[in-house]
Amino acid sequence: MNVHECVIDGVTVLEVEGRIDSLTAPDFEAQLVATLSTAQRLVLDLRQLLYISSAGFRVLYRAVTQAKQKDGKLVLCGLSSTVSELFAIAGFNRLFTITASREEGVTAVAS
Amino acid sequence: MSSIETTIKNSIAEIARVVALVEELASVQQLPPSSIWPLNVALDEVLSNIISYGHEDGAEHEICVRVSVEHGLVVAEVEDDGKAFDPLAAPTPEIDVPLEERSVGGLGIHIVRNLMDEVTYSRIAGRNRLTLKRALAKDEGERA
Repeated sequence: MNVHECVIDGVTVLEVEGRIDSLTAPDFEAQLVATLSTAQRLVLDLRQLLYISSAGFRVLYRAVTQAKQKDGKLVLCGLSSTVSELFAIAGFNRLFTITASREEGVTAVAS
Repeated sequence: MSSIETTIKNSIAEIARVVALVEELASVQQLPPSSIWPLNVALDEVLSNIISYGHEDGAEHEICVRVSVEHGLVVAEVEDDGKAFDPLAAPTPEIDVPLEERSVGGLGIHIVRNLMDEVTYSRIAGRNRLTLKRALAKDEGERA
């Protein structure tokens, strides 16, 4: 798993590439927590995410809780059909604002 | 090669070896990603559960993993010598309930049950054996 950070129109975007599973979830969490400590509004671009297991969902849950406590916002974009299916199974599609494109994600997180 | 078998130690890092072997099998069998990611996710759930909660002695243990492709099915068998644990007996999590209020391991097995067509558990000679089955789509695998 790799995470790349970029800033678009003042909004921090994290691109996640590869797998978020029990092996990579701790690294993913460390990078997410570090980013959320400075950026209150964050877009997670999941276009290059192959799959996510429950270890990753736990990280996302903690991250969205942390963001809400700081009056921040976390928006997800670019979910593949595989990742969408996993989000639906886990019931996590209802926990997040999810947009198709990164541009929509940046707009949604800024609003 | 229509099957793989490996033995891993009870350490999370060892799961990477299983993922790599499953992908090698998928490549040889020319299976599409749609047949492989559900298996990798399910194995991650099952193996991480055994590694995290299966043993209380802090000692090194072995977990045996077999994956085969046959008769239009992908079949994975996981065997461990941890305490008796039937994940199928775990209650189905309320996915409307906040994650922190769900039972430990509940979400993982919920995902496994949804991704696999059949999950069976047996306790044989002091060992847990979990078998996962998922049908290949009609045009996948074992092509003549």
